[in-house]
Amino acid sequence: MVMYVIKVSLYGVIRLQAGISHFESTASTLSELKEKIPNVSRKEADDLIVLVNGTAVKKKYKFKDGDEVVFMSPAGGG
Amino acid sequence: MATNYGGYMGKVLRINLSTKEVSEYPFSDEERKLYIGGKTMAAKILSDHLTGNEKAFSEDNLLVITTGPMTGSGAPSSSRFNISTLSPLTGYITSSNCGGNFGYYLKKAGLDALVISGKCENPTWIEIQNDTVLFHEADDLWGLKTSETQEKLDEKLTMKNGRVRKNGKICIGPAGENQVLYASIISNERVSGRGGTGAVMGWMKLKAVCASGNKEVKVIEKEKMVKHTQKWFKYLRKHPLTGNQLPKMGTAGLVSAMQMKSILSTKNYQYGQYDKFEDISGEKLAEEYNIVNKGCLTCPIRCARTVEVNGKQVKGPELETLVLLGSGILNNDLKSILRWNYELDELGMDTISCANTLSYAMEANEKGLWDNGLVFSEIDDISKVFEDIAYARGIGAELALGSKRLAEKYGGKEFAINAKGMELAAYEPRKTVGLGLGYAVSNRGGCHLNGGYLVILEGLGLSIDPTTPRGKADLTMMFQDLMEMISATGQCLFTSYAFFPSPLMNHPNSWYTKLVNKILPYCGGVVRFINKFPEIAFFHLPVFHHTKAFELVTGMKMPFGNYLRAGERGYNLERIVNARFGVDESKDSLPKRLTDVPQDPNKPETKVPLETMKKVYYKARGWDEKGLPTKKTIERLKLDGDVRDKG
Repeated sequence: MVMYVIKVSLYGVIRLQAGISHFESTASTLSELKEKIPNVSRKEADDLIVLVNGTAVKKKYKFKDGDEVVFMSPAGGG
Repeated sequence: MATNYGGYMGKVLRINLSTKEVSEYPFSDEERKLYIGGKTMAAKILSDHLTGNEKAFSEDNLLVITTGPMTGSGAPSSSRFNISTLSPLTGYITSSNCGGNFGYYLKKAGLDALVISGKCENPTWIEIQNDTVLFHEADDLWGLKTSETQEKLDEKLTMKNGRVRKNGKICIGPAGENQVLYASIISNERVSGRGGTGAVMGWMKLKAVCASGNKEVKVIEKEKMVKHTQKWFKYLRKHPLTGNQLPKMGTAGLVSAMQMKSILSTKNYQYGQYDKFEDISGEKLAEEYNIVNKGCLTCPIRCARTVEVNGKQVKGPELETLVLLGSGILNNDLKSILRWNYELDELGMDTISCANTLSYAMEANEKGLWDNGLVFSEIDDISKVFEDIAYARGIGAELALGSKRLAEKYGGKEFAINAKGMELAAYEPRKTVGLGLGYAVSNRGGCHLNGGYLVILEGLGLSIDPTTPRGKADLTMMFQDLMEMISATGQCLFTSYAFFPSPLMNHPNSWYTKLVNKILPYCGGVVRFINKFPEIAFFHLPVFHHTKAFELVTGMKMPFGNYLRAGERGYNLERIVNARFGVDESKDSLPKRLTDVPQDPNKPETKVPLETMKKVYYKARGWDEKGLPTKKTIERLKLDGDVRDKG
């Protein structure tokens, strides 16, 4: 599997939990990347909203060169 | 009039400022049962007085300040009070809901509501202590900003032992005194913001009202209520929205989510995304500026932020202010928004209407319609512009009129972003079209909450298809009625967010959440059936603690279906009164930018299909094609007595 350098952004309360707003990580699949969010368990990562290049993707998404990923906690009510 | 119900103090005071006459306003138990409290009780009082010929700035208008039966009951987030009046901004009823502690202390004074009319000869403030009402000269307060006014009032309420008498207060700032059409009323740091209630108070030359007393709210089933309240507090603290997101990030936490959903109003609603959104986000506010989160009395949610401005700890901005004074005018300087938020509260102006009027003016200038010197992203002089608005100086005197009137003068109606004359909230509705419908039909004008807040289903909470009109009309009606009733009881609308079961919020990627998102738009028929026959819900819902609490406090029977019906009655009552002032189908509109121009030029569905949804909505509500309640609907809701020909 080809590994790519992925730019990751975190939003919502998960960002406060992770203690980091952006980071770069290497991964070939979304599933793999979910393991690499600081201070966030895999179970918690599974409940985050995920966008790749601004679009929702399937769980088994395989990365392409230049992909940018957003992990976001569900948010509502204002 | 004394009451047999719990939750009520059984007394409404009428205060005539012209004659200084104080009398009891009759409000019976029969009326309490039908009109509950808060905005609905106020609508009933306004309905009994307004014929359709009155003006906001006249002795015929009333400023009605109401609590609900849950106010001060100890239930979660139950310190709310409501201010309703004929709005100078819209010309229709506005109802503006506020936290803080004034509602609580009004009830401590033994009162459910104040009905204020007339006009003082000179600036006046009113002191209410238990049954005593005193009128004081307010020459020394007139002209002061809102925090200084409240400090001075506390000095005046200092007792012989040096302590300040415990009190709740409301006051206006310079904007109210100068009748800025969107002037607000301030209570501590909380704001009754929308529709220009502060301008009406200013016209009355009433600077402030302070209430205090030692009366207690009677709770019918006290022990059971204590247990129920404990359970409810626990539930709210565990819920992902009311127990996690709102306490940790406040409403500001939605900025990023709105960006991702493309509903972040940007450059006067031209776009739904802002490339510098991170600079004005709730995350940045939490990480760099928030000192502590605060809550109103008995509130476990504690959504308010505290930030530092000019060396002073003050209330931080809500989502609306962040967005409309941020992306709305292409400003990514968060520090400036914190300062402006404070300044606008000090001057006593609604941040939403003010910001949207400003962004309209910037666009009008950019398009060459109005040479006013205001330019998107140029923010150096904005504080001065706000001062000029509050004191009605120069260009400020024009901006004080709001975007609708300015568009009538200078042109650009299609980008004067208001409904019924009141500026819209921060959610760009072309990718949350159900909320677009809500904005248009809302009784008080462009309000997300009075509009049913369907965005909570369309992206912020659940994720149903945000651009389909399918099912949206019926869901809008249900959410409007539900929120109408929560507001009428004196509770905060944020408690309603826990209505959505936690698993749906916690697990957005689960099969069941996806299923709910998929099928909900197709449930319009089911929702309509419940809306039409709410009595079938003759029970309490485990995720909706309000109904049981209401019964325990008041002793009134209030299963979920009755709760919805009471909300529906309130919603229709405001509509009936507004109809006397000319509201009909033609007034349920949005600017063409939102209905005719797709947000994404490649996706024609990204605009609000208003006319399609309105037809379904009117049918669901039991209104005719003119958008007015039919005779059958009026009879069903027992509102026959409120229908009258324009006098």
